[in-house]
Formats: sequence, C-alpha cells, structure tokens
Amino acid sequence: MVSARFQQPVRIGVDIGGTFTDVVVVDAKGGVYPVKSLSDPVDPAAGVVRALRLAATHLECEVGQLLGSCALFVHGSTIATNTLLERKGARVGLLTTAGFRDSLEIRRCIRENVWDHRAPAPEVLVPRYLRLPVDERVAADGAVLRPLEPGSIDRAIEIFRAEQVQSIAVCLLNSYVNPAHETAVRAHVLERWPEVRVTCSAELAPVMGEYERASTAVVNAFVAPRVLPYLAELNRSLRELGLPSDMLVVQSNGGCAAVAELSRKPVQMILSGPAAGVSAIQHYAKDIGNSQVIAIEVGGTSCDVTLADRASVAMTDELVVDGYHLAVPAVEIGTVGAGGGTIAGVDGGGMLYAGPEGAGSQPGPAAYGRGGLRPTVTDAQLVLGRLKPQAYGDGGLALDHALAERAIRTNLAEPLGISVIEAAAGILRLVEQNMRHAVEQSSVERGYNPRMFTLVAAGGAGPLHGSSVARSLGCASIFVPRLAGVFCAFGMCHANVRHDYQRPLLRELDDPGVLDEVARILGDLRVEAQSLLSREGFRDEQMQCHPSLDMRYAGQQWSIRIDTDSVDPAAIRRLFNAEHERLYGSVQEQARIEIVQVRLAGLGLNPEHEQPIRPVPDRKAQPVGNREVWVNEKDGVRAIAVYDGRLLEPGHVLDGPAIVEEVTTTVFVGAEDRLRVTSAGNYIIELLAPAGEGKRA
Amino acid sequence: MTQMIRPETGRTVDAIDPVLLAIVQKQLDHITRQMGLVMTRTASSPIFSQSHDFSCFIGSSEGHIASQADGLPIHSAAGGFAFRAVLERFRDDMEEGDVFLMSDPYEAGGNHLPDWTIARPVFVAGLLCGFVGNRAHQSDIGGGAPGTYNPQATEIFHEGIRLPVLKLVERGRLRKDLFQLLLLNSRCPDLMEGDLGAMLGSVKIGAERFRELLSELGGKQGIRVIAALLDYGERCMRSEIARLPDGEWAGEDGSDTDCFQRVDVPIRVKVTAKGGELTFDFTGSAPQIRGFKNSSLANTHSAVHVAVAAFFGASLPRNAGAFRPVTIIAPKGSVVNALPPAPMTMNTIFPASEIILACWKALAQANPARACAGWGKPVYGISSGRRADGSVFVMYHWHAAPGSGAVAGRDGLPQAGNLPSLGGRTNPNVEAYERIYPVRILQHEMRCDAAGAGEFRGGTSVHYEVDMLVDSEHAVRAEGMHRPSGFGTQGALDGATGVMRVREHDGGELEVPQYGMQRLRKARISIDGTAGGGWGDPRRRDPLRVLRDVRDGLVSPRAAREVYGVAIAEDGRSVDAAATAALRGK
Repeated sequence: MVSARFQQPVRIGVDIGGTFTDVVVVDAKGGVYPVKSLSDPVDPAAGVVRALRLAATHLECEVGQLLGSCALFVHGSTIATNTLLERKGARVGLLTTAGFRDSLEIRRCIRENVWDHRAPAPEVLVPRYLRLPVDERVAADGAVLRPLEPGSIDRAIEIFRAEQVQSIAVCLLNSYVNPAHETAVRAHVLERWPEVRVTCSAELAPVMGEYERASTAVVNAFVAPRVLPYLAELNRSLRELGLPSDMLVVQSNGGCAAVAELSRKPVQMILSGPAAGVSAIQHYAKDIGNSQVIAIEVGGTSCDVTLADRASVAMTDELVVDGYHLAVPAVEIGTVGAGGGTIAGVDGGGMLYAGPEGAGSQPGPAAYGRGGLRPTVTDAQLVLGRLKPQAYGDGGLALDHALAERAIRTNLAEPLGISVIEAAAGILRLVEQNMRHAVEQSSVERGYNPRMFTLVAAGGAGPLHGSSVARSLGCASIFVPRLAGVFCAFGMCHANVRHDYQRPLLRELDDPGVLDEVARILGDLRVEAQSLLSREGFRDEQMQCHPSLDMRYAGQQWSIRIDTDSVDPAAIRRLFNAEHERLYGSVQEQARIEIVQVRLAGLGLNPEHEQPIRPVPDRKAQPVGNREVWVNEKDGVRAIAVYDGRLLEPGHVLDGPAIVEEVTTTVFVGAEDRLRVTSAGNYIIELLAPAGEGKRA
Repeated sequence: MTQMIRPETGRTVDAIDPVLLAIVQKQLDHITRQMGLVMTRTASSPIFSQSHDFSCFIGSSEGHIASQADGLPIHSAAGGFAFRAVLERFRDDMEEGDVFLMSDPYEAGGNHLPDWTIARPVFVAGLLCGFVGNRAHQSDIGGGAPGTYNPQATEIFHEGIRLPVLKLVERGRLRKDLFQLLLLNSRCPDLMEGDLGAMLGSVKIGAERFRELLSELGGKQGIRVIAALLDYGERCMRSEIARLPDGEWAGEDGSDTDCFQRVDVPIRVKVTAKGGELTFDFTGSAPQIRGFKNSSLANTHSAVHVAVAAFFGASLPRNAGAFRPVTIIAPKGSVVNALPPAPMTMNTIFPASEIILACWKALAQANPARACAGWGKPVYGISSGRRADGSVFVMYHWHAAPGSGAVAGRDGLPQAGNLPSLGGRTNPNVEAYERIYPVRILQHEMRCDAAGAGEFRGGTSVHYEVDMLVDSEHAVRAEGMHRPSGFGTQGALDGATGVMRVREHDGGELEVPQYGMQRLRKARISIDGTAGGGWGDPRRRDPLRVLRDVRDGLVSPRAAREVYGVAIAEDGRSVDAAATAALRGK
C-alpha cells in the first residue's frame, strides 16, 4: 500500500475504559481520527491491538504501516486500578519497625461515612502474619536510635519464602527523614532473594505519616506483578508490529513516562486514563479563549471534575481509591457517581433518588437490552429524545426506546404518580444537581468562583448535561470538544513526559540558612530530573523544571503548595499568605511558617502540534431534521432541529434548542443557548440568559 | 438553580412534586456541608479544623431539624432543642439579621456548657421560614480547669460561663458589650474570637443559601416542602419500626464511678414497640451523681437518636420527622436528665455511651440480626507540660483508643473513636506525634486474646507504650478499667478491660486513678486499650477465620481450642477438621 490517508508522522493515544477502548490518531497536519472499539477485559493488550487494527482499516492502511509511522505512542489504562478494585494483585509481605506492625490495618481509624458503622473496612491487603518486624529504630530527627539488625530480616525472608510471597513492601518509622534503613533492608533482601520485588516506602512517597506511606508501598507491591508484565507484553507486541520506539504510559500526575521508568512505581498508574484529560484541557486552552476552565468528563459510571486556573491544574498527593490511601503525586480530580449508567429509583419512604449506584456496562442501562431492568440516566435521555435509538460505537451497542420507557414507568412514574416524562426529567435534574455540587466542591470550596470559568463538557455524555450544569453554576459559556467522547485518548496525543520529585524539609521559613538548603535540594532534584529526561531523548530546550514548596503555618495539619523559585523569605511569605487568604479567607501575619516539602516537577515537552485552521463557510448551518425532545421545565417536549456535526464548520452559528449529533457524542443546545463552531472546529455554547445566580460566589 | 427548582406548579395544594422534594433535600444537605466547610476553613482552634467537633444544621420554622449532613452524631437531636429555645423566648421579638447564641444545658437546649450554639432565623418577605445554626465545642469557657473539662467539678458553676439564649447580633449589628463579656470569660480569648467569627460566618453563608432556596420556592411553599421532608423522615422510620415485633425489652448499662469513688451508676431503659412507635423509658436509672457525668435532656435525646439510627441503618433520614415516632421518658433528677446545678461537661461521652449501650442491649432483643455489640469504654489520658524550649503542649493519648463492637457480618474495628460520635475521629500518625510532642512511642500493636470472642469478634484495641521525655501532668480518664465494657451479644463474649500502667523512669510503678491527675517526672505510660464485644456464638465462627486470627497472633491456639472450638493443625497453617468437629460436638 503506497499512499495512506494520513500525513506522517502520527501520534497515537490509546485509552482503555470499562466498555470501550478509545484510539485517537493525530497526523502531522493535525488531522484527527478517532475509533471506539469494545474493550477486552480478559486480555486488554489484545483489545488494544484489535482497536489499532480497526483504526488502520479506517485509515486504509496496515496496522504495521500505522505504527511504523508513529512518533509518539501514549497509553492510559485502568489495569492498576482494576487490579486493586478486584483484589487480584500479588501476595505481599510487609516489613515494619518492630512494635508497629498494624498501622496498615488500623488505618488511623479513618471512617468514610461515620453513620454507616456496619460497613466493614476495606480488606487489609497484607494479613498480619505477613507483616513482620525489623529490629531497628530511627528517631523523628533522623538519628539512629537502634541500628538495623540483619538477623530480623533473615527471619522474615524465611517466612516470606515459605508463604510464597511475591512482592515485598518496606515501611520503617521516620524513613521519610532518613531512608538509610529502608534502603539497607532492600539491599539485604535482594542479596539473598534477587528475584523478589521490593518497594521502599520513602523512595515512593517521602512524606510524613507511616500509615499513608505503608499503604502506598503495599498497593505498589500489590499491583506490580500484574501491571508490569502487561505493559512489557503490550510494548513488545507494538514494537514487533512496527512501533519504532517504546510506548509511553500516562501517570496519575497527568504526564507520561516510559515503561522502564514505571517499573519501580507502577502505583503511579492509578489514575492513568482520567489524568490524560489535563493534557486535552491544556491543548484546547487557546481555542477555548479562557485560561480558567472547569472540565466535567461524564462517562458511563461517573463524572470527573478537573479545574485549571491559568492552564495549571492543582496537584494532590492524597488519593483514596476504594478505601485505600495513596500518597502519590496526582492531578486533583473530583469524582461523583453521576454518569450514563447511574441508576434511579424510589426508596422506602417514597423519595426519588439517582445514584450513586451504577449499572456499569453489564447489564448496563435498561435500553441496552442486556437484562438491566432498572432505569438509568441513559434511559432518561432516550425517553426525553435527547439520545436517539440507534447503534453507538463500532461494537454496535443499540438503544431500545421501549425498554427504557418501561423501566422508568414501572420503577419511577407509577410509584410516584407522575408521568414518564416528568420522571425522566426528574432523573436529569437530580444527576445534574449532583454534578453541580461536584463542580462547586472543586471550585467554590477551593476559593474559586465558577462564574469566571468556562465549563468544558467532555466524555460521551458530558455534552448532554453541559448546558444545564453551566447555567446552574452561572457560567457564561461552555466549550464542547468535537472529540468529547474520546477526550482522554485525544489528550494522550498531546501529553508531555513528567517526573515528580520531592524531599521533606520540615523547617521554618525564617530559620537561618533554610533557603540555602532549599536551593541545594532543588539543585539536586534538577540534576536528577534533567539527567533522566536527557536519557529519554529530550534536548535541553525541551526540558522544563517547576519547583514548588509545601508550606503551612506552624501548628497546622495541612499544607498548601506554592509554585516558586524565589529565595527571598519575604516574597515567599507573601505568596503563601495570598494563597492562604484565597483558600481559607484568612491570613496570620505574625505566624511562623514551616516549609514541609520541597518539590520539583521535571517536564519533557513533546513539540506542539500544528492546529489546522479551517475555512470559514459562508453558509448558514442547515439542520438535517427534527426530533421530539424534552427541552426544559417550561417548554416541555417539542420538535427541535437536529444537526449533523460532520456538516458543521468553523464560523457556523446556530440557536438552541437543538441537538448536534457527533461521531463520539451528542450535544444538547438549550433553549436560550447559541452554539458557534470555533476556528479549530470545536463548539462554544454561549448561555444567553444565565439563570438568576448573580449572588452565588 | 431556578432551572432545578420548580416553583408552584398547577398541582393541587396537597401534592408536592416528588422530584422537587428530592432536589430540596439534596440542596439542604449541600448547604449544611458548605457551612461546615466555612467552619473548618476559618476557625482558629484545632478543635474545629482538625477534630471537627462541631455540627451545622438547618431547621424548620418550628425549630425542627430538617438537615444535618455535616455533623457529629451526638449533636443530632440537640440543634432542635436550641432552635426551640430561641422560639420560646424570642418568637415575637426577632427579625431579619438577628443572630442568637446559647449554651446552657438547663436553660437553652445545650448538650453541655462547652458546646456553644449559634442560631439564625431566616425570613422571606417578613415570614419566618426556618433556621440555620451550628454547635461547636469552644477551647475554653472559664470554669475550674483550662480546656473546658474539670473532673473536680461538683456544680455546673465550676464548669464555665453559662449562656441563656442571647441576642448576639441585633439586626445585623454585633453587640460588642456582650462580645467583650464572652471573651473576658475565656482563658483563650483569641481562639474564642476566631472561632465565634467562624461560627457567625458559617451561619451567614448558610442563611444566604437557605434564603435563596426558600425565595425560589416561595416562602409558604418552602415551609410546606420542608414539612413534607419531615413527613418523609417519619414514613421511613415508621416502616423500619414496623419490622420489629410489638413488645417490651429492657436494657441496662452504667458506670462504676462518679469520678470521686467507686459507686454503681446504672442506666436502665425499657424499650416498647407498639403500633409503629418506639418508647424509651429511663425510669429506674440512677439519680444524678456528684461528678461531671450527668446528662442533659438534649444530650440524652441525641444519644437515643444515635442508638436508634445506628441500630437501623445509615440510609434512614436523620431529620426531626424521623424521630416523631420515638418517645423518650427521662425522669427529672436522674443521671439522664439532671437538675441544676449538677455538673455535666463529660456527658457527650459519658453517660452518652452508656445510654447508647443500654438502648442497644434492649433493641438487640427486638431484632437479634441487627444487634450491636458493645464498644470498649476508653482507658487513656491527656499529657501536658513544657517542651525543652519552654513552649506548652497538650497531648491526647489517642493511640490507646478502644476497639469497636462487632455486628453480624463484620468483626469489630481494631480501634475507633468515641461511641457517641460513632468513631468519627481520625487518629494521628506516630510520626506526627513524635515530631510535635516530646515523646517516643515504643509500641502500637493489636492485642492478643482481648477481643470479645464471637461468630464475629470484637475489635482488639492495642498495646500502646510511650516514653514521656519531659516532666508532665497526666489527666487520667479510665472509665473502662474495672469492668468489661465492650459487651458481647447473641452468645458472644465481652472484650477485655483496659489496663494502664505508669512508671517514672527513675522510680517504681504508680497507682493509676480512674479519674484524676498525676504529676510525673519523665515516665513510661503503657496502656492495653479496652477491647470490643463479639456478636454470636464463637463456636459458630468460620474455622478459617479462627485460623487466620491464630496465624495473625490475635487469638492464641489455646483460646481457639477452648473458646472457639477450633483445633489448629501442627503445621500452624491449617485447621484440624476432625479435631474441630469433635470439639464443636458435631
């Protein structure tokens, strides 16, 4: 085959979700080719290769030709998350300081919902008989109180071997200040047992808190033997099919890393997938025309909320996944159970509810006809005419209107004594209220006013809810990426490489010599970051280093991260006070300030991709038909215009109410909305008469 | 929001749109959570920002709680008492912009004196439509001991300043004279000023959001929707109660100390289920006691609500409507409804815990499947002193927290916070303590053979040992040191009592009082925390779970054999099935 439809070289993003594997190919001229194909839960690597073959077919070439012309292949996968959720990881042994075997099981007494005292704690990943003591003790200031006694390690190894442990985590008290004993334990273990995997807590997460460090190290040790072979195997198949260089993997920090880099810290993949949305947001920034953006990505099970202020997304290292605490750098994503598969019902007291329970992809919404009988959000969209009964995706998922209507009638409308339309609209109102509360949690509660932001409605279902959610928040406009349904896979095509480094400091800002020490640490971290990036093939001008400091008023429990490379204590104090004021509304002028952590993010920048400028048409957008759709409370159901997204070009404008059908999503344009196609071919929806939310801050 | 809230529709007067009802409930919950956020973000004292010792609530125009999504279980009934105290005294004398403050458990619906309540009425077009409020534990309110807890108190006057219902803000203007009076009565006026500011800020935001919601509904319609939400709560509770057989069940728990001497302080309850209603009658409970463990009416109601809510289920609405079918009889002058001037600062823990445990014992007979075993009563202390640099520290020995009780389907949690807050406290890391306080923690590990044995066993609690590296004062609170408190239920055994040992580095072991103060030179404190009770016959416990406990070192092979009837094979890694069958008589 001589000529392919695309311009070489290409970039490829592959995102594996619960139902679909999304592939996006971006070519050298900015041409974008999305493909959705059903995931293979048993052999996800085979599912990836099948999706790539499908993409190649669409592009009229062989998969080898497609991969051979690929300059950047980025993959996001839920494999680490699923390994944890399904408890299918390795048999792990944990080594702790003698006297402290149980922090992992006691969990600091954290209770997610105090009222639900009957709920059991999540199953401890390492049973107590595999949590073994090491004789040693380091003090809070790093001094060695009791030297490491190797005999205790040998005794533990003997037990671990007998118990067929596959992976060992080490978490010793105060190792975040002085990791020497942890490192020595690993060396001692590997000398006697070279084939076992050892995770050191302070290397992975040098933060104060033996519980969080132990939990992070254990999850890392738990997922490693499943995640790493998968990545190696997929990379090998891709290379054999013609991929010229190794694939990269999206990490929880929103950047990507080579497979080899992840070998010691596969837990960094825990948010791989949704974290790639950040790259998409950053890529769209110019087209959005507002540097303050809140994205809602609505899929089958949940709504993920990400806030970007001046294109920068807040980071956290306090993640909780299914009750397991992880201290790894991650983009801050708020999640609520509000997606297409969210189930609605009537409780014992006669109250309508929607969520948090979801129908997943099996059995899925009633309309899937796979045996689901309970009504979901997707069923409501179908009954309200916002979705049409047809096949979605290349897997041929069909939606059956009659099944959806029956589920809503018998489960909601009849028990509540209201019409099917009222019940379906009620489901939407409840989930959209839930989405709005989630956005407020990510914005108002962190000191931001959502009215100043543009709401990005992404995910297959996001553009159906965007108008209503944005209106209730008081936003002026919404941005809908044309590829909303493959948002994260698209983001992967624009991801940079990112490595995060941190060192604990725990000294006061005004201590003499503190900032010299900060500078020295940052210097060390910079050398570490740059040498890794240069091994990865980045030239100096493609590297960026972003330092930041975690600080707090002395006595506070939580710290605030400040991006700064200043060495002036007064300037740093000003920055910290300003951020404290923004977050908490107060400043303690006289208080002592502690620097808790010194951080550096090393970025390897992949070159910006050309964004095609499309011609501006001189004709009005023409609808392709009409459909009966529930518009809102006031207007009820009426016939509204339906547009084919493929026929809409930059400069086109259309007034709501209307539906735009896209390849990967459906957009609902509300009654008082105006949609305009941007120069890059995406959609901006202006809310001409935002609801009376003027007072909301 | 106008999009989400449908104003008056063309419906008949009685019917309220069920979708609207659901939306309003969620919105009220959201508002109370946002009020809580304002508290944590703006308060000065760590009690708010770290321990979350406060609750935010929204009430109806008649002073009944409609939502309290963010709050302590033991405050759950109390907000309504405060709102109704305001109505009783100021019904005809309040207007937009007024804010009330109160604390007294005898006069103003308080739990105990340190919990101060701010209440703000919300009007729409001049019509009183409801209240927002919050209740929060102050750092210091005067009285005989710093920090609000005075174990020597024998009268409420020893416990701090008493506040009747006060109009703190009059038509938007803070009454500065009153404010000065309050600050003057605290040892930490700076903390109090910051915390009162946070409370006022929180009700201001809450009132704005609540008024906005009510305005969109229309004031009268708003009142009706809230009334419908309370009706919904009542329906849910009645359907839960209807699943119990009609009958009468007695439960008893109690203390063995009045804080000064060993004395029996029984708390007895008779629970009656009849016609979809429940009555909790505490007639026969001990008279009020000398020490500070007497309950107020608001606190006793809250404790019963916690017991009932925890017994039934987490999905039950916790508004005042849900408790309409619940009647509480608390005889005046008893330890569950003391008369002035009995002291009562300890009551949110004791006797709240005993009230909950007595109710659980009675309810267990009504539905054994939902029975809750006893949570251990704490044995711990509070150390204070000066660091080497002269700065003052106060450190709670929270690492000694007791184990919780078992329920059908899950073992007790190894450690949990206090029962009246249903364990809603997160413990600090050892590393954080060693960083902040002059201590070295030597051990923090689960106990062996302490948990109450059962088909589901109790929480083990821990062995905790710490060296105090400086001289210190040690305020001991060891309620659970003499009698097992984590009782077993449905044939299970009690959890072990708590044990505390204190030894000065250069001396011998000291006697530990149940309540009292020790002055210590550098010392080692070691505590075996109180364990929780089990649920169900231990001989019905899955032998594999017993094996796991033995392998985990939480149950000895001997206890496995003698208590659980499970024989562990010689390899220590499997169950000897034949010997187990013989032991269990099968």
